[in-house]
Amino acid sequence: MSAKPLDTRALLDEADASLLDLVDNVLTKGVVIDGEIILGLAGVDLIYLRLGVILCAADRILKRLE
Amino acid sequence: MSRLYLYAIVGHQPVSPLGAGLAGEPLSFVAAGDVVAVVGEMEDPPPATPEAIRGHDEVVRRLAEFSDAILPARFATVQDAPALMEWLAATAVGLGEALRLVAGREQMTLHVYDMGGPDMAPHTPPPSAYPGEPGARLEALGPGARYLAERRRHWRQKERVPELEPLRPRLDALVTAERVELRATPPLRASVYHLIERGRSAEYRDAVEANLDLVAGVRLRVSGPWAPYAFAAV
Repeated sequence: MSAKPLDTRALLDEADASLLDLVDNVLTKGVVIDGEIILGLAGVDLIYLRLGVILCAADRILKRLE
Repeated sequence: MSRLYLYAIVGHQPVSPLGAGLAGEPLSFVAAGDVVAVVGEMEDPPPATPEAIRGHDEVVRRLAEFSDAILPARFATVQDAPALMEWLAATAVGLGEALRLVAGREQMTLHVYDMGGPDMAPHTPPPSAYPGEPGARLEALGPGARYLAERRRHWRQKERVPELEPLRPRLDALVTAERVELRATPPLRASVYHLIERGRSAEYRDAVEANLDLVAGVRLRVSGPWAPYAFAAV
């Protein structure tokens, strides 16, 4: 029983700066329960790696809007 | 078998009706001593979709309205209530300290971008930016001393975003605590998380915008207010 991986491309396409900050906060910050009692984080690790890229994408989009 | 989805840790059990969680489930509490976990019971861990991530934050924001001190949880599900209680008890001291830090406060985020875009070479601060590290004379040191000096400089650089130094005094009155996360993905250089008193986010934005001319070589994006996600580590 594991969570489905998040589709990072969908996030990039959505390119919503507030969503990108949400991803930063909700998936990479916050209280972390360690040990064997945690479940349901499968598939999320990739997001951590892509996060910087996603935030950069937001920057480019914001630049175009300026 | 149902699982517990964890939304946040709070200092006191809220008395107000808390509404529903991500899957429409009623929110409930798991308490251990002075700390209380707000959870929802689910059959399966929710997939980390954009909707679920937004939903998580909406629940956290709603809880923050009833809780002066809140530590938002990272998107995750835990095994069961006894396991969660055991973890709460084992981590109570750290959770208590973190709750005291965030009480009455919220988070603002400053994303720091290189001005020149993704093709620009990464910025390297001059050695003189770090007092006490005479970079030009490193070669005069012996191998051991040089190694230590280089290590010291490396860690100092890791901890700092020197372009923000002129801005910091202008934010001092607003910022209680800071976390810096350096990014290895140009043009994004760093994300700087500031803990401020609740209700002062507009002042914070105004202070940043009013002093942008002090910040050279980078572009800033302000985001917030958020629940104090970056200050919830225990």
